[in-house]
Amino acid sequence: MAGRRGRALLALCGALVACAWLLGAEAQEPGAPAAGMRRRRRLQQEDGISFEYHRYPELREALVSVWLQCTAVSRIYTVGRSFEGRELLVIELSDNPGVHEPGEPEFKYIGNMHGNEAVGRELLIFLAQYLCNEYQKGNETIVKLIHNTRIHIMPSLNPDGFEKAASQPGELKDWFVGRSNAQGIDLNRNFPDLDRIVYVNEKEGGPNNHLLKNLKKIVDQNTKLAPETKAVIHWIMDIPFVLSANLHGGDLVANYPYDETRSGSAHEYSSCPDDAIFQSLARAYSSFNPPMSDPNRPPCRKNDDDSSFVDGTTNGAAWYSVPGGMQDFNYLSSNCFEITVELSCEKFPPEETLKSYWEDNKNSLISYLEQIHRGVKGFVRDLQGHPIANATISVEGIDHDVTSAKDGDYWRLLIPGNYKLTASAPGYLAITKKVAVPYSPAVRVDFELESFSERKEEEKEELMEWWKMMSETLNF
Amino acid sequence: MGFLWTGTWILVLVVHSSPIQAFPKPGGIQDKPVHNRELSAERPLNEQIAEAEADKIKQTYSPENKPSESNYSFVDNLNLLKAITEKEKIEKERQSIRSSPYDNKLNMEDVDSTKNRRLIDDYDSTKSGLDQKFQDDPDGLHQLDGTPLTAEDIVQKIATRIYEENDRGVFDKIVSKLLNLGLITESQAHTLEDEVAEVLQKLISKEANSYEERANKPTSKTESQTGKIPEKVTPMAAIQDGFANGENDETVSNTLTLTNGLERRTKTYSEDNFEELQYFPNFYALLKSIDSEKEAKEKETLITIMKTLIDFVKMMVKYGTISPEEGVSYLENLDETIALQTKSKLEKNFTDNISKLFPAPSMQSHEETDSTKQEAAKMEKEYGTLKDSTKDDNPGGKTDEPKGKTEAYLEAIRKNIEWLKKHNKKGNKEDYDLSKMRDFINQQTDAYVEKGILDKEEADAIKRIYSSL
Repeated sequence: MAGRRGRALLALCGALVACAWLLGAEAQEPGAPAAGMRRRRRLQQEDGISFEYHRYPELREALVSVWLQCTAVSRIYTVGRSFEGRELLVIELSDNPGVHEPGEPEFKYIGNMHGNEAVGRELLIFLAQYLCNEYQKGNETIVKLIHNTRIHIMPSLNPDGFEKAASQPGELKDWFVGRSNAQGIDLNRNFPDLDRIVYVNEKEGGPNNHLLKNLKKIVDQNTKLAPETKAVIHWIMDIPFVLSANLHGGDLVANYPYDETRSGSAHEYSSCPDDAIFQSLARAYSSFNPPMSDPNRPPCRKNDDDSSFVDGTTNGAAWYSVPGGMQDFNYLSSNCFEITVELSCEKFPPEETLKSYWEDNKNSLISYLEQIHRGVKGFVRDLQGHPIANATISVEGIDHDVTSAKDGDYWRLLIPGNYKLTASAPGYLAITKKVAVPYSPAVRVDFELESFSERKEEEKEELMEWWKMMSETLNF
Repeated sequence: MGFLWTGTWILVLVVHSSPIQAFPKPGGIQDKPVHNRELSAERPLNEQIAEAEADKIKQTYSPENKPSESNYSFVDNLNLLKAITEKEKIEKERQSIRSSPYDNKLNMEDVDSTKNRRLIDDYDSTKSGLDQKFQDDPDGLHQLDGTPLTAEDIVQKIATRIYEENDRGVFDKIVSKLLNLGLITESQAHTLEDEVAEVLQKLISKEANSYEERANKPTSKTESQTGKIPEKVTPMAAIQDGFANGENDETVSNTLTLTNGLERRTKTYSEDNFEELQYFPNFYALLKSIDSEKEAKEKETLITIMKTLIDFVKMMVKYGTISPEEGVSYLENLDETIALQTKSKLEKNFTDNISKLFPAPSMQSHEETDSTKQEAAKMEKEYGTLKDSTKDDNPGGKTDEPKGKTEAYLEAIRKNIEWLKKHNKKGNKEDYDLSKMRDFINQQTDAYVEKGILDKEEADAIKRIYSSL
């Protein structure tokens, strides 16, 4: 009797205990949100890097943690808000965060522009933590990078899309859900199509750079642009970026300009004037990523056409034509050279694979960062030593000019070779200099430009001198 | 109860723990049927005896292997398995001798407690062949005393591993993999967790008590009656301190700084409103953490649950169904369970689950609640990352998220200060820099709050941490 009741009670007790367990059952589930993940993070942590997907709050928290750990060399800021109001967060790493040091080149990484292409987002979070860790450990490469570069990392340009993608049940994520922003706009088709303009200019004559005139009309008053797009455009115009990469998923290749075909066909190799340096930049990324640069790697999907891939790189238009993309917009509206990196055959792979993606891309990300210290760089000043902003630096043989920034500083990425550089500015006399460019580091070439008025003065003086001499000689 | 099949599933689970870190390897899956077969039939007696001797040797080895088992090597698992099955067999034999006086009683149990059986069957998967073993077993005590010990060993090892890894995620992964493969049902998984948590609790208690004086032995083997529970007061205190000494970030800390957490815990110990509940420090801390105004009902419910459970256990001990130590450890485990689990999910699941828990103590409703829980748990699993806490950061509700976040921030700040100190060694301006840092941090956090990069609470927390340095 007693035993039986006891057993019944024990069973009941167990049931209640089980239910008590279930109070927190959800926390144990693999995909459980924040708090549960936090505990699991401890297992997968490696030096503060937790290899798991970060939703928006976790993303913010991760960046804040990096900032808290490396307050001396980091800063968080936002370039704007997504359609649904999430901040487009950027973490900046440099020895003087928040300040553009004259001569220090600016770099950016942007990830997760397509919300369901998740690997880039995570890699950039890992990268931020990694750079902070390594900096504090005294890793020479990283210390040098942070001291000599201003690195901007935007893990997600489309946080709204990511939330949508991540909210899908199960591990298999749809190929399209979460790709576009909350308005359904594909951000990588949303930028003003400057390729078209450049192709016309090529035929009829015209510049190949800085084609975005009238920012207000084309951007601010353009209702077709997504808030994320607008935010990025302003970001690009505000900071004199030199080098950039745009992280995607769905394939495994480093893609460079132009993205849109000249003829308008589905795919044909459309090289830009800086094709040589772009190939070198793309290779600098892909060569450190074993699967990306593996020549014997089968295509991501059986019927994929990867015939345009060479050493893990491809010309954008040769692969397939993309109009209105961010990469070409960078090249044609500003001084920034940007490539697009496709990081994974699967757009939203299982969380357990994140660590291996990090291992595959860690070295590539750093190597690509270092590419910014190549080519030629320097200052354009007037004879009094004052900086000349917006001076034009052109390279003979390459139909693409760059301009100097506010402090007169410029950076011109070039592959090794002999070049003739010309600096010019309105009201000033142009100066040309010959430069021999190695692979790295960048060669310093400064220009002191003489303004027209100064020249006139000089000529006048020369004339007076001559007149004086003549008069003395001839005894006027 | 569900110990037998749980134990078996744990064996399966152990086999699977080797491929945890990578994708499941085909080899791991193949081994499963072998072990199932082993368990489904009683092994010949001479084999058992032979292994019992070998077990003695293995027993001494496996504890030593524990520290290095973070790789879940397959060899270790096999040793573990062998040790467990051996122990199982030995205990079985031991128990069968002990059980004879209770035979009659329990035969009646088998006959009369069909209702019980059904409940337990709901936990069990009717698909598993292990059910046969459960029902064929003439001696009911095996389910209670014999097999629990065997499962205990298995669970012991797992709990040890979790303890060492200091992360329940280990277990989560195993369970989710098993669930995904359809090897265990939700209820089995949950009961499995029970077992593991129990042992984990014991482990922690043991560790804690090894610090305390040897006088208070928590799992003392004295066979006394119901008075056992009040005796547990002092050991519980020891456990409580052990908790404080041990895994601080894992256990409940209701405030930001760790020191405050310790104080709070000892405080609750003295200012107890509920006589018996004072013996459950974690549970009490949980009660404290519930916002009295908002969730008074839940608080009451929780208290009632605990009291009910305590009464149940007391009754069971009184009737001799379980030994006093088991009863005490059961409750201790419950306390630990609650501490671990509800800490993270309190605000969310509380309203739902509590109301489901409490319809009636009848078997039927328990079955129902179980299945609803299963459904909920299954759904939650499927829609793993469904919850989007983007916009509603719920400053009031999420009392636990700030804890984990604050820990991360604390860690980051610690590293920063460390680096600054190292970096400024030449400058000898440590103190000066700290105050400058404080100002800088205050300034920056305010700026960040304005820009929407930080929450107000986060900023305050950070400022507080810096001011306390």
